[in-house]
Amino acid sequence: MSKKHGLNLSKAEIMEHRLEILYRILPLISVLLLVGLWMIASRDFNADVGSGFPTPAAVWDRTVRLFTRPVKKMNLIMHALVSLRRIGLALAFDWTFGIIFGIIIGWFPKPRAFFTPMFDAFRAVPPLAWIPLITLWFGIGEFPKILIVIFGSLASIVVNVKAGLSAVDKMYLNVGTVFNATPMQTLIKIAIPSSLDAIFAGVRTSTSAAWMVVLAAEMLGADSGVGFLISRGMDSIDMPLVLTGMIAIGIVGAILAILTQFVERLICPWTRKSK
Amino acid sequence: MPMDKKKQVILSLRNISQSFVVKNEVKPAVEDVSLDVYDNEFLVVLGPGHCGKTVLMNVIAGIETPVEGKKYLKGEEIQGNDRRIGMVFQSLNLMPWRTVLGNVEFGLELAGVGKKERRAISQKYIDLVRLTGFEHAYPHELSGGMKQRVGIARAYTNNPEILIMDEPFGALDAQTRYAMEEEVLRIWKEEKRTVVFVTNNIEEAVFLADRIILLSNCPAKVKQVYDLSPLGRPRNLMDSDFLRLRTEISDNTDLAL
Repeated sequence: MSKKHGLNLSKAEIMEHRLEILYRILPLISVLLLVGLWMIASRDFNADVGSGFPTPAAVWDRTVRLFTRPVKKMNLIMHALVSLRRIGLALAFDWTFGIIFGIIIGWFPKPRAFFTPMFDAFRAVPPLAWIPLITLWFGIGEFPKILIVIFGSLASIVVNVKAGLSAVDKMYLNVGTVFNATPMQTLIKIAIPSSLDAIFAGVRTSTSAAWMVVLAAEMLGADSGVGFLISRGMDSIDMPLVLTGMIAIGIVGAILAILTQFVERLICPWTRKSK
Repeated sequence: MPMDKKKQVILSLRNISQSFVVKNEVKPAVEDVSLDVYDNEFLVVLGPGHCGKTVLMNVIAGIETPVEGKKYLKGEEIQGNDRRIGMVFQSLNLMPWRTVLGNVEFGLELAGVGKKERRAISQKYIDLVRLTGFEHAYPHELSGGMKQRVGIARAYTNNPEILIMDEPFGALDAQTRYAMEEEVLRIWKEEKRTVVFVTNNIEEAVFLADRIILLSNCPAKVKQVYDLSPLGRPRNLMDSDFLRLRTEISDNTDLAL
């Protein structure tokens, strides 16, 4: 029966092979469909009055023009780097203070009881709600923007680290007891390593949160960054520029996600299979 | 044969009682258990069901503090955990973030032993449990039997005088289990320690033990003590004496429902 195919494959194997091909084709179809829908949606586009949805070609031209005639003397990549620098500084704070704070309130019951209500109230406030106060206090320089990004991304790392440290499996702690671990050894050699995957979940979510918030912060008052490009496009009814900014955001966001995943695999090789 | 010299008691439990709390209800797990463990013997604690045995081992290892009773190590009363008592856990408890070597040297690392010495000692026990070549593998890359070998090596590295093995082979398939029983005897012969081995498997108990302490069902009490030295070693699962003793213990064991 299966000899008809020339190969000694069973029916199940042939089915599996076909499925594998399908799984490779589907993402491609998805992208093509998106571009197709985009072309259909943009058929009424009029660049002169800015009406309708910009065509892919118009967006491409605008992107190229961003390099030949930079906005505020900065091309697209430079704007993206400015945004990345802001989240980089904010994340540096998140990943030091946030992880230490998460460990403290996750592991030690007294600080947990004391800080949890305070922290829950803080993280319930959307970061953008801080903009008026922060602008009033610190003006419109770099620091207030970084502060807003910190306010918007700190909670996700603290929450994840806290969750990891407050749920350390008893069986690992028992090993420590049998080997006479000191309280400090228990924390450093057992609790923190066993929470590394939770800590990395926090690293990932805080990175994407920071990237979301920096764009919002830039749209509200900045003269550089990808968020600024979008608001500039909005103000001058330059929809291709808005689209260029949106696509840049998507690409940088995806690169950040891949990068954090790569670092996680590098630092926690044992999670590769257990997931 | 063993015990040419007079048997020396290394560990004694006196009137140990321990309970646990389920849904706000206190249930006795271990009731008034007294027992002696002799130096370098292979003692099997045999009991049905799920309650009592692990609790009793946790009490010996110092993971739990008993409600009542005392424990003595070489005549001295001890409380909590003690370096001289090591443990191979029921659920393995290997640390997934550490390699085989990392897991085996964990106890030495906590004890502050230098890296070079730690490596040398760990390697000796990795070789002893026949995991040579797997030093840098992670636990998830190992089979069930190999994981238990890591657990045994880890307990051995800290050079305990008493080694508790809490149902170490419960999760293994029958074939691996037989192989690991033989392995445990081989390791015990090469590196003599006092072993307290917990199981609910009567055949396993009769195959391994110098003595068997039979516990009753919940709460666990000492029901009877069997001396198996007349059986000699190595043992044959089909030997008539073996089968007779196995049946005798089986008839005397509470049914765990």
